Amino acid sequence: MAGVTHRLEAHVLGEGDWIGATEICRLCWLDLGAVMELAELGVVAPRGTPPGEWQIPATALPRLRVIGRLMRDLGVNVSGAALALELLEARRQLERRIRALELLVSDH
Amino acid sequence: MEFRDYYKVLGVERAASADQIKAAYRRLARKYHPDVSKEPNAEARFKEMQEAYEVLKDPEKRAAYDELGANWKAGEQFRPPPDWGTGFEFSGGAGHAGGAGRAAGARRGAGRSGWSGAGAEDGAFAEQDFSEFFSSLFGGGSPFARGGGGAARDHHARVGLELEETYRGTTRTLELRRPEVKPDGSVELRTHTVRVTIPPGVTEGQLIRLAGQGAPAAGRGQAGDLYLEVHVQPHRLFALEGRDVTLTFPVAPWEAALGASVTVPTLGGSVEMHIPAGAQSGQSLRLRGRGLPGQPPGDQYVQLKVVLPPASSPQAKALYEEMRGKLDFDPRANLSR
Repeated sequence: MAGVTHRLEAHVLGEGDWIGATEICRLCWLDLGAVMELAELGVVAPRGTPPGEWQIPATALPRLRVIGRLMRDLGVNVSGAALALELLEARRQLERRIRALELLVSDH
Repeated sequence: MEFRDYYKVLGVERAASADQIKAAYRRLARKYHPDVSKEPNAEARFKEMQEAYEVLKDPEKRAAYDELGANWKAGEQFRPPPDWGTGFEFSGGAGHAGGAGRAAGARRGAGRSGWSGAGAEDGAFAEQDFSEFFSSLFGGGSPFARGGGGAARDHHARVGLELEETYRGTTRTLELRRPEVKPDGSVELRTHTVRVTIPPGVTEGQLIRLAGQGAPAAGRGQAGDLYLEVHVQPHRLFALEGRDVTLTFPVAPWEAALGASVTVPTLGGSVEMHIPAGAQSGQSLRLRGRGLPGQPPGDQYVQLKVVLPPASSPQAKALYEEMRGKLDFDPRANLSR
């Protein structure tokens, strides 16, 4: 049964937004320990102290969410997920370059 | 609704041990995980597997599922038996925070294309949109949905956008399903439709928050939020990286050699661009600020591709012969060094 149509304004979490550690954990399926390990690995650059009070830029969300999903769904640990993320990003970069070169040599 | 054979989905025998089921799920998850996989239909396959694993990893749900009998075939028309769920003792929550029921789903917007196929889902299950079959047996209102704790929960969904939509901004119509408790205490899924305005300049993987559109808490508590994760569909002409776009742009040899003023398509419409004399195939020229909007906006890179005219007419042949005779040009000069 369909209800009334509501019009909603979307809030895009992007540049300029800082997100608290607790919310980051909730949005990325991570626990605080994992976020601390990711900060040690240089994947995120939080500001503030202590870790429970950290603020993290929203621009880190896409990468953290991939890490969270890989940990949750594939059973890999933090450094494994971070490594997988870097390799996935490198693969995407290479695919883009290959595609650009293919376009350059193709007939159309 | 159609019966789902969860054992077949995971490729295990009905007698498989919990460890065998876990191993099968892990193996398939690595192959079809949407963040990793290059397989066609990876996302749909992954959701099927998650649904199957959600049931088969939980001894209570698996036992109840097995009670349906082994004679059902995948795809057969199915209705839950009237006494479904009776005779089982429930441990309550089965060890995960969300309980079993998917509380809401964002469906493909009415008449709109572009959803990647995934719906909004229970935060406990993440990227999935479980089937009607699952919902009828284990979802909200079933005995298996107990133990959810009644807390507000966020929902997550993917939204697929065309590149032009991310440039200009767009709207999406979402159908959200939510369980509501009726006066007699039973639960029904109610659908309500929302229109979402997505501003210009969203990028791959970015999150859009719709406050209060997640699962409501039990009683009168505040509802969780709905998060849409943006995925930009591949474009026919433009390749996207962050906020920058790249266009491969064919030019004639004399345009590259002598320089030219050309009209180049951009996301915001055509613009005039100057090609400097002596440009080469593969060279990139930048149109500042012509990528996706943002602070700062992205750029458009124009990668030149020199295209030779075919020597198919007498005039063209004569010109090529003239160049051969008059130009001191050795394209293989580097090879003989």
